[in-house]
Amino acid sequence: MNVIALVLCFVGALFFFAGTVGLLRFPDTFCRLHALTKADNLGLGMIAAGLALASGSWLVAGKLGLIWLVTMLGGTTNCYLLAHALFAARPNRAPDGESV
Amino acid sequence: MGNVYVILELFLVLNLLLGLVRVVRGPTTADRILAIQLFGTTGVALLLVMAHRMEMPSLRNVALVFSLLATLAIVAFTRLVGVTVPPATEAEGRS
Amino acid sequence: MTPMAWALDGAIMIVMIVLAVRLLLVRDLYRAVILFVVFGLFMALAWVRLEAPDIALAEAAVGAGITGVLLLDAAKKMSRGRGEEEP
Repeated sequence: MNVIALVLCFVGALFFFAGTVGLLRFPDTFCRLHALTKADNLGLGMIAAGLALASGSWLVAGKLGLIWLVTMLGGTTNCYLLAHALFAARPNRAPDGESV
Repeated sequence: MGNVYVILELFLVLNLLLGLVRVVRGPTTADRILAIQLFGTTGVALLLVMAHRMEMPSLRNVALVFSLLATLAIVAFTRLVGVTVPPATEAEGRS
Repeated sequence: MTPMAWALDGAIMIVMIVLAVRLLLVRDLYRAVILFVVFGLFMALAWVRLEAPDIALAEAAVGAGITGVLLLDAAKKMSRGRGEEEP
């Protein structure tokens, strides 16, 4: 059981690393937004699942699941707000982009 | 057994350090805000691992506050300041 | 204390010092506010490593969150006032 939990945790950490590399290496802000919000929330879910397995208590597992849900909700809100503000403020495509 | 979780924590802290590069270098405000989002999510994961390893269950509440903190900061930034896109965004695309 | 835990604490400490120096030296106010929020996050992590979760809770909520938003509002008002003066 503990081995499965550790493997889940480290796979989650790899997802976090993928998100960070995406934040550093992608050329555009939208690409970075895309990489970060998905990979990180998936990694957090896997780490939470691994820790829930390792803790061996239903109460702790439920709390970890709720924390994951709140973080995903916040991440979604952030992603939408940021992308909307960026898309509305883009510099040179404003004249032909009015139908959006 | 506990030592393995320390390696996990160190890995997550190194992730935070890498994200700091984007805060320092990021060309627009939006990139820096994105780094706050990264810090929020990674901080939650780090605190959950710490809560397990150090056997302090109250750290899970701190993780909850962390996840709300990132949302608060980003909502404040996009609503109060707004995001400007300088022409430097296209120049950044080449690198 | 294992060497790994030493490395963890040392990394957090060095990052906090570098962040504090950079926060004081940076010119743009918005960048300074973002650096302040990030500094508050690391400060909370440092409190956690000192086994003080209640102070970490207060630091994350008040030190980084509320103060960050208040500083942001103040920076916005300051830059607007300066913008009216300049032209």
